[in-house]
Amino acid sequence: MRGLPGLIHHPGNRREELAMLSDILVYGLMNGAVYAMLAIGFSLIFGAARIINLAHTAFFMLAAYAIFYFGSELAINPFIAIPLSIILVVLVGVVVYYVFMEPIREHETAVLIVTVAVALVFQELILIIFGGHYRGVSSIVAGYISPYGIRISYQYLLTLGVVSLSLFIVWLILMKTRLGIAIRSSAQDREIANLMGMNVAKIAAATMAISVGLAAVAGVMVAPLYTLEPHMWLNPLVLVLAIVILGGLGSIKGSFIGALILAFIEVTVVFLIPGGAFLKVAIALAIMLTILIIRPEGLFGVYMEGER
Amino acid sequence: MAVIRMAFRYVRNEIFVLPTRVIAVLFVILLILLPLLTQDMYILRILAIAAIFSIYAASWDLLSGFVGQVSFGHALFFGVAAYTTALLNLRLGLSPVITIPLGAFAAVLVGLLVGIPCLRLKGPYLGLATLAFPIMLMGIIFVFPGFFGGELGISGITRLASSRLTEYYIAVVCMLVLCFIMWKITDSKIGIIFHAIREDEIAVRASGINTIKYKLLAFCLSGFFAGLAGGLYTHFLRIAGPSMLAVLMSFQAIIWAIFGGIVTIYGAVVGVFILYPTLEILRATAEYRMLIFALIVLLVLRVMPQGITTFTRDKLERECPRCKVRNTVTRKNCRVCSSDMR
Amino acid sequence: MKSKLFPFLVLLMILFLIGGIVGCTPTDGEDVVPPEEEEEEGVEFDGEIKIAVTGPMTNIQGEMMWWGALMAADEINAAGGVAVGDEMYSVRLIQVETDEIMDPLGAVSAVENVIVSEDPDFLIGGFRTEAVTPYTDLIARDYNKIFIICGAATNELLHGRVDVDYDAWKYLFRVTPIRSTDLVTVTILMLNDVAMAVREELGIAAPKVAILAEALEWNEALVQMAPQIFPTLGLEFVGTFRPSATASDVTTELRGIEATGAHIIYTIMSGPVGIPFGKQWGELEIPACPVGINVEAQKSGYYPATDGFGDYDCTLNTFAQNAAITEHTIPFISKFVDLYGQLPNYNADTYSAVYILKEAVERAGTIDTDSVIAELEVTDYTGAAGRVVFDEAHDVIWGPGYVTAVGIQWQDGELVAAWPLEWKPDAQNAPDLVIGYEGVVPYQIPPHVLEQWRE
Repeated sequence: MRGLPGLIHHPGNRREELAMLSDILVYGLMNGAVYAMLAIGFSLIFGAARIINLAHTAFFMLAAYAIFYFGSELAINPFIAIPLSIILVVLVGVVVYYVFMEPIREHETAVLIVTVAVALVFQELILIIFGGHYRGVSSIVAGYISPYGIRISYQYLLTLGVVSLSLFIVWLILMKTRLGIAIRSSAQDREIANLMGMNVAKIAAATMAISVGLAAVAGVMVAPLYTLEPHMWLNPLVLVLAIVILGGLGSIKGSFIGALILAFIEVTVVFLIPGGAFLKVAIALAIMLTILIIRPEGLFGVYMEGER
Repeated sequence: MAVIRMAFRYVRNEIFVLPTRVIAVLFVILLILLPLLTQDMYILRILAIAAIFSIYAASWDLLSGFVGQVSFGHALFFGVAAYTTALLNLRLGLSPVITIPLGAFAAVLVGLLVGIPCLRLKGPYLGLATLAFPIMLMGIIFVFPGFFGGELGISGITRLASSRLTEYYIAVVCMLVLCFIMWKITDSKIGIIFHAIREDEIAVRASGINTIKYKLLAFCLSGFFAGLAGGLYTHFLRIAGPSMLAVLMSFQAIIWAIFGGIVTIYGAVVGVFILYPTLEILRATAEYRMLIFALIVLLVLRVMPQGITTFTRDKLERECPRCKVRNTVTRKNCRVCSSDMR
Repeated sequence: MKSKLFPFLVLLMILFLIGGIVGCTPTDGEDVVPPEEEEEEGVEFDGEIKIAVTGPMTNIQGEMMWWGALMAADEINAAGGVAVGDEMYSVRLIQVETDEIMDPLGAVSAVENVIVSEDPDFLIGGFRTEAVTPYTDLIARDYNKIFIICGAATNELLHGRVDVDYDAWKYLFRVTPIRSTDLVTVTILMLNDVAMAVREELGIAAPKVAILAEALEWNEALVQMAPQIFPTLGLEFVGTFRPSATASDVTTELRGIEATGAHIIYTIMSGPVGIPFGKQWGELEIPACPVGINVEAQKSGYYPATDGFGDYDCTLNTFAQNAAITEHTIPFISKFVDLYGQLPNYNADTYSAVYILKEAVERAGTIDTDSVIAELEVTDYTGAAGRVVFDEAHDVIWGPGYVTAVGIQWQDGELVAAWPLEWKPDAQNAPDLVIGYEGVVPYQIPPHVLEQWRE
């Protein structure tokens, strides 16, 4: 039996402790940024259309495979391949929304399964086209920097940059444009938004585009860091679901902070209990549950009890 | 003679009047008489597994459809019971007759454990939070691989019965009895409260009903039935493995139940009996199997978002506007109150 | 209804278009369509032997099983078939997609389906233990058919079954790979070679070793034992890291390993985690030499999948293109690469399994199960992976003179054998017994590791 206490890592001295702390900070921030990208997209579409989109991370996977196909197989310049992949995935997302989700939106449970089925269709299409082989995508810039002895690959830094930029853009859209106001108001109260003369269906479609777009950006940026395989959507999905309820459903700020919290927990687990690194998701989920019991509506959730 | 005449009258008045009831009765008769038509081991296996999964899917419907607590972690109950059953059988040598109920009991305890901390959670929070439990349990299984067998699972378990035919009948009879019980529960006073909680929890609480108690009860009941399914499945396959706790296992229950039509119990059964054999037939298409399966689910739900049973029922039958009794669409007057059906 | 139908017809068309376009584009010759089995003109067979190959056919493991078996069957049929008594039988293969990686428990149904509908005489294959355990149970105990495992390494599939309750389990055999405890022994021998290189080239007397082992049961005993084994090899144990077998990012683990000051990473990975490991280890230039088992690194696709960063990774393997384990090895690998465009991995030794079955049937003169089992038990077959002899648990024997496995290293994008170069299995009693296959090259310390420790 693998007793846990024996596996806990005890740093030898203060210098090692500091090094570990900086590692935890850096890697927590980087993983958190990617999780935040995924979670915010999920949260947006839940807020605007009350759709629990279980296919969300499948779009992320689709984007990763698109960049693999265009960038590695067809050897298209990454500056063309990346926007092309993102646009293509967003298009697929909007079409899927209009064809499969919008017409049956009243049946919430059916939408739920439709999203699972869409994810399975993507998974199987990828399996048929690319096979079950594990694939890798070349980094846009290979190599790493090592400030203060920490090793960070350029791709990670680039991802962090792109993620921050995209989140900033989304923030601008939500806060400064008419569309953003519409999205936020329909997230607060769909019916009233509708009564105020907003076309909630169109708003939902626009939100879907933004949401899938975020997943696609995350996908193309992360593809060089992760291994591509047709089931790669499942594990991130679990994390995304955990993050959005930790942060509070429909809350963008909550998703962002929830993502950082879960990422920091995961990284800390790996550094403190290296022998239990595989438990990082389980421990992160346990802590999420504990927080939820204290704050049942999540960290920044809107209390939705009155909603009918 | 009188008994026969009464039975005949009952059948004529209560079953033949509605096509869906006729279909249900035919389905049960077919299941019971099937071994007369074929003794093909493979067909018996598929139908036995479908019967076991029907219990599992129906138990999801009981919790999620009726009480409205959409559970994303239903594999927890299935898995806990499977592992408990397997361990009791392997380590203590208990027979399936004892291990399966004990496994279900363990699932009830887990239902309580999950239910209590989750009681503060509401709406989608609860459902999504339940997703965490099977994953956490899977972590525990890999922390103690010596005891739980890690990724190998626990094998070397007694079979459910000595012959496949007996196993088939055990599965089918358990399915019929347990689903009937679940259906009756949803029809009882408890079931009505479950319904009400889903529709408007505040209103139920305002009527002086302790909704927490009923939600916990729903977790326990659902856990019990899912646990029985888990125990049966373990003894049927003679292994309990970590894939029983996987996310896809939880999703499967949701797919079956919603495909068949939620808030019905029988919908879950229909969903499993359509989708599970379909997936098996699709083995012939090799690598296109899951793709075609997913497309079928997608297209069917696109046309019948309320689920296949509800859709069919609404096409074949109509509710009398006055006395709310169901009638065949072809009738002009209600069969009970004779009021005009249009 | 009509207006609603239109959009999803459009979507369907789009989906199929995408599928069609991408599907029709050749992808670097990777998806070579295996040649269809053709009946030889003019050869009349008196009957056929049906062999079902069970595996995850959409994954590389299943493909390898299928290709290996197909190659053997085509060769046998072209050479006139199998002599059963006075009659000549052809070999017919049946492909069984068990989908066991995604749905391990559903695999049992797939296997029962083929047994009921096709009634194969023998079955070979089996990859994921959680699936193979229940379906070997079904094959042996319910259908009394012979099954030769060609993929799952778990001891418990045979040990504790065949040797304990012979009558119930005698139907099961294993040809490839060697069982998991022997796999571990080989990696320890490889670790020793790497440690020698580290001592010589980096001038470190007692190299530090960190363990990076996926969190699975099969390597549990080893992870517990390793800290005691290392000092006997003159190594210092510095820590164990256990990511999930399906982790997609091990940067943090690698950073943790670097913090321990390890010179060597002893890897035990059978799952997809092997790829992010190779890629991130190379890209971040983690200053430690990886050695051990990395199943992903056994395949041709490893180098491109890690974007070349997995170079110098060192893992146990069954074949290597440059190592002549027996005189059959190089011809087998060359022909396999010609036909299917990829190096064979351990699953491809279904090739040997088919030949072993053929020989057993020919010796028995019948395809009657019990007679074939009796003949299989006395198998002494020298194939591409070595000399196959079964022990009392029907497991392939590992050791000098039998199947030994090889250690491979990726050197400049080539998969080459680096063990056994000069292996002395019994230095005390038989100092002259040195095992080393023709063509094996010395282990190379990864250049970036060399650079960082020389400073």
